[in-house]
Amino acid sequence: MCFKNLPVEFDERGQPFLRGGIPDPYTASTAPANVPLQLSHEQVEELVRRNGHVKSVDFDPVTRVAGALAFHAVADLKEGRVLEARSVATLFRGYEVIMVGRDPRDAIFITSRACGVCGGVHSTCSALAIEMAIDCVPPPLGILIRNLALSLEFLYDHPLHLHLLAGPDYSAAIVEPTNPALFARAKKTEAPHAEVHGYRTIAALMEDLNPLSGKLYVEALHMTRLAREAYVLICGKYPHPQTIVPGGMSSTITLTVMNEMFVRLSQFFDYSKKIASIWDDLTEFFYEANPRYKDVGRRRANMIDTGIFDHPDAYDASYKNADAWGNRRWATPGAIVDGELRTTDLHTINMGLEEFVEHSYYDEWTGEGQRQRFPTDPAGKPLSPYHPWNKITKPRPEGQNWKEKYTWDTAPRWDRLGMEAGCYSRLWSTAVAQKLPKNPFIEATGHSLKVRVPKGALPEMDLEWHVPTVWNAFERNRARAHCVAFTSMVAMNNWMAAMDRLKNGDTRTSVPYEIPKTGERLGVGFWGAGRGYLTHHLVLDRGAVSNYQIVTPSTWNASPTDRWGQPGPYEEAVMNTPLLEETLGTEEFRGIDVLRAIRSFDPCMPCTTHIHSDAGVITREVNTCACGVDG
Amino acid sequence: MARSLTLVGALGYRNLRDHSVAFEVLERLSKADLGPDVVLEDVSYNPIAVVQWLQAQPPDQQFQRVIVVSSIERAGRAPGAVSTYEWDRVVPSDALVQQAVTEAVTGIISLDNTLVIAGYFGVLPASVTIVEIEPLEHEFGDQLSAEVARAMASVVTLVRDMVHERSLGA
Repeated sequence: MCFKNLPVEFDERGQPFLRGGIPDPYTASTAPANVPLQLSHEQVEELVRRNGHVKSVDFDPVTRVAGALAFHAVADLKEGRVLEARSVATLFRGYEVIMVGRDPRDAIFITSRACGVCGGVHSTCSALAIEMAIDCVPPPLGILIRNLALSLEFLYDHPLHLHLLAGPDYSAAIVEPTNPALFARAKKTEAPHAEVHGYRTIAALMEDLNPLSGKLYVEALHMTRLAREAYVLICGKYPHPQTIVPGGMSSTITLTVMNEMFVRLSQFFDYSKKIASIWDDLTEFFYEANPRYKDVGRRRANMIDTGIFDHPDAYDASYKNADAWGNRRWATPGAIVDGELRTTDLHTINMGLEEFVEHSYYDEWTGEGQRQRFPTDPAGKPLSPYHPWNKITKPRPEGQNWKEKYTWDTAPRWDRLGMEAGCYSRLWSTAVAQKLPKNPFIEATGHSLKVRVPKGALPEMDLEWHVPTVWNAFERNRARAHCVAFTSMVAMNNWMAAMDRLKNGDTRTSVPYEIPKTGERLGVGFWGAGRGYLTHHLVLDRGAVSNYQIVTPSTWNASPTDRWGQPGPYEEAVMNTPLLEETLGTEEFRGIDVLRAIRSFDPCMPCTTHIHSDAGVITREVNTCACGVDG
Repeated sequence: MARSLTLVGALGYRNLRDHSVAFEVLERLSKADLGPDVVLEDVSYNPIAVVQWLQAQPPDQQFQRVIVVSSIERAGRAPGAVSTYEWDRVVPSDALVQQAVTEAVTGIISLDNTLVIAGYFGVLPASVTIVEIEPLEHEFGDQLSAEVARAMASVVTLVRDMVHERSLGA
């Protein structure tokens, strides 16, 4: 059974239906079974009152993340464990409000501004939603170029996160003061992949992860330049492209452009070998030094991904055929629960999606007198009243305290479970589902993903990412490092296919379209960001947007505790994190293990929340957590 | 004889009322005859990319002088007030530079960030002049406030004179 908590069953033909005999099937009382729960705030207050070693540990802001994130934890500093964890998105994202009443094409340009790293993913997701709503199918070259563009965006994003944002957590500058014994061990530990990355010891590797001065830090800045240049060749500008349109790409693609792009792309071949071996070595070093590092950032392997990179022979932009074209993507969609792949069908992933706001600064939109706008999806499959197509964004920043509301993020759930999103979810479902198109570079084995990376200065190399047996901060970073190779080879496959089309004279990258001015139409962009899952749900009414809902990876990951007490992924990961810092209990304590847990998700708060106040648009914000005023 | 190139950079936000004034200034300057040794450029993007662009200039096209025009809120100034100063070249602590890089690569564009990062990476010439205009309106839109609109003509003249002085002195 695909859903364990939602009131949806499947008949013998696999068609879903609402379980009968339940008057209010999506009622709030249908709580998920066997999930971790937060302590109540009263219980935490009692523990703090009774025990001098139980204290608040607040990170406000959490640095080295994109955007404004604060984190509140209550920790037992004697036992070295976290008792309560609350993730706080400190700014409001108004895109859902801004979009209402507009021409849908505006969404491509407006929602791109949701992120300063990966605006193109929002533009593309928006174009997909519009294509579905207006029945518009891009030509094959348009689809291939779109795939290339997004691959390049991820090749900007992954090195940036690994060596500019998360990497410093594993650098000598951090490890030596927080865990001196560990750093001493690193000096004596030889790196297994020294012949690939060039570092004889783990300590030498850590030295080059140092911020600003480390060679790996500086190299990552250079790699972002290569990815950006390659991207600009086909998209015109970065990070907010003007060339993504419903029905394809408006850029002119020539063999010269493709070759210039390849010069940049090919430089990721050796880099991907190096970065994967670095994070393999770092991960294994920490595990061997202290197996409790496997608990840093640990949570259930509950993940969600909508897949990305369409096959030009399959994608027809329709909701009706979304299961078919979704399953032929270069990254397979997937909902994974406790490490088990439940489904790869986009309809089922969409059906299981709900958004809750009990602890968020929004008003409920369901309830007495409220009509559920769409009881089913366009294929007649049941939808929850909490589904984005039924959602109404009603901001209400009141009741600011941990018991009531404490964040601008909502709580998305799938089958009422807290799921996490990341490029690793993409790897996981692709590896297990084994639905990859036949190709010379990537093989899904059912338990791993093998990537054959061509020769550069380093020889051709087979990298293999294994589905891990434990899910934690280290595995997130390791998988992200392997994603550089995976993404590079997705790009290679699409580059080769695009070159074949160009050589055969097929240069068309877009088709004409019109926005119908009659009737009500639904669309959804199922796409992905560098950080994983991305959906834009769109409702068009006589040619104008009547509802627009964005769910980003960090909407999932930074989500607050839900109505049943189930923590969001950051919260759950931090609650499971042991405090292994050797400075625990001293004034030098930094909370590095908690920060490793949070940063391993690659938080992107601009995508989660935004940026408008009564005083105008906030272009730069120094944030303060409003939850300090506890009730 | 080696050329003495001047970069006039506009740093701001498009379609954000007074925060767009630098682009208007650049537009007007583009219609003035500033000579072949003056480069007008929108530098309102990822400061790391600005650094990389400056690093990529060929040796014979390095800038000897940089003038940056930007609208930015500073305490105690009236809307439309214009301030000019030579950048003091002070780079903050490594921790703050690191934070500036984080903000830069994740999409934050600001005058201070650009100066800190460009300064840290040593890509700015000895002469860096900042021209700041105090904004009043911070909303979406393409209309400048009356105060900032009034100041614009003087800013254009100011920058043109700066460039002219430089070329006379060169």
